[in-house]
Amino acid sequence: MSEKWQLHVAPGAANDPVFIGVGEIPTGKFPERGFIQQLSKVALLAIKDAGMVPRDIDTILLIPCLHGAADQADLVFSRMVEELGIHGSCKSSYMVHSGGSTSDNATRAAHGLIATGHAHNVLVLQSERWGSADLSEMITMLSKNGIPGEWELPTGIQFNAIGAMITRRYMHASGSTPAEMASVCVTLRNWANLNENAMYYTKPLTVEQILASRMVADPLHAYECPPMADGACAFVMTSTANAKKRGITNAVRVAGTGGCVSHYCLSQEADQAVLGWPVAAERAWEQSGWGPQDANFAEIYDSYAAVTTIAIEGLGICAKGEGARWFAEGHGNPGGKLPMNTNGGLLSAGHTGVGGGTALLVEGIRQLLHRAPDKRQIENCQRAIIGGSGGSYMDAQVLLLERTKLGA
Amino acid sequence: MTTPTIVSDFRAGLASGELLIQNCNDCGKPNMWPRYACPHCQSENLGWVKSAGVGTLHSFCVLRQGAPEGFEDDLPYAIGVVKLDEGVQLGVRLVPNAPGDWSQYNCDDRVEFVGKEPGRECATFTRKAG
Repeated sequence: MSEKWQLHVAPGAANDPVFIGVGEIPTGKFPERGFIQQLSKVALLAIKDAGMVPRDIDTILLIPCLHGAADQADLVFSRMVEELGIHGSCKSSYMVHSGGSTSDNATRAAHGLIATGHAHNVLVLQSERWGSADLSEMITMLSKNGIPGEWELPTGIQFNAIGAMITRRYMHASGSTPAEMASVCVTLRNWANLNENAMYYTKPLTVEQILASRMVADPLHAYECPPMADGACAFVMTSTANAKKRGITNAVRVAGTGGCVSHYCLSQEADQAVLGWPVAAERAWEQSGWGPQDANFAEIYDSYAAVTTIAIEGLGICAKGEGARWFAEGHGNPGGKLPMNTNGGLLSAGHTGVGGGTALLVEGIRQLLHRAPDKRQIENCQRAIIGGSGGSYMDAQVLLLERTKLGA
Repeated sequence: MTTPTIVSDFRAGLASGELLIQNCNDCGKPNMWPRYACPHCQSENLGWVKSAGVGTLHSFCVLRQGAPEGFEDDLPYAIGVVKLDEGVQLGVRLVPNAPGDWSQYNCDDRVEFVGKEPGRECATFTRKAG
């Protein structure tokens, strides 16, 4: 692969796409909250945060829900355009979908649309109702994502089994102990305890509690499995020129991205303790000119602890094999050397399906806009690593985001 | 819905105690899972070879709760990923050491094909003796 990964948009140029606003509602179990109600709420929060009104939005990119086909169809067929009252002026509304990495790919889509002039102001929307859905239906539905029905479904595989196999291989390859794996979940909980929107905002968690919880899928304990939640979030992107016209002085830009789709189903992954992260990272570093030492914090997909430890090793945030011990030493904690998943992540803010990755991205943007609540705002942060993964960890996606001052 | 031939052929193999690997009749390379066109040379001229049924256990888990619909009565059960010596990989069930106990298994163990469980259209493997 000789062709260089180069972004064809200059930092600060008129067409350089920037994030200017985010919206989010609490994640958890909210059976009284409707699907479309959640979407309307976060859309309006994000539009307001961007200093806009709904009529300013010309393009909506929808992040799918997984809880039901009818609600998903409402997204695909532009319901939100009517709900926001922009029918007749909105140029296009459509879905982007790659499971848990959708928000990374939606960012790339919005970035390309804005840089080339296909869109001016893009609203990206996500809503999920996993917390209120029927659990057995969800388990069966999730036994079909990233799992070939004719070949692998007959084994009885489902999402916790996939997470458990990755965890076991990672522990085998790295020599990490159960306590070291559990420390990842504790770091995430420490952050969730600073996030009023997190499902486990008020509940602390210890390594001892995790190791004492029941075994769900060896080697995963119950408290190491992601809690299914209701939730929604949104963000707005525009061009640097549009942002300046609106008097916006600080925004967040994309310094580079990298990705690697390493398999479709887990059985075909060459090394479950590596996945696509080293390739994705190399491409992202090449495109941005950054290295892992250049970021102030990271927001990396964490549906299971090993998913994140494998990612930080592939990204070079720590030495190979040291990911779990890096967490055990407290480096990802509030006050640590690289704050990690500062909203509490999927494991402690709540797993909202495809939205878990979106929530991490929204938190990264919020931190870089310096709009996080004081208790968890990373002081004067300038650069972030965002990492996502979808399906049976089929891909590794990296977004490198930086705060940018918009000149006069 | 009619089952595609590559699926029914593979399952017929399992039913007769054979683990079949798809093999490209043009480039000679093995493919698993079986494909509709060879991912190596794009040929649609594909056949089968019988696997020696021996490989290395890349990883595995023991599912103790939360089985998909239709698998509830199997709990607990172990699922693994095997790298066959022929150079292809597949997802399998693992035979317990004792009822409900897979504690003797480790990643990178040598494992061998033993057949299939009744009603389950997937290969079952066990730890290789010695």
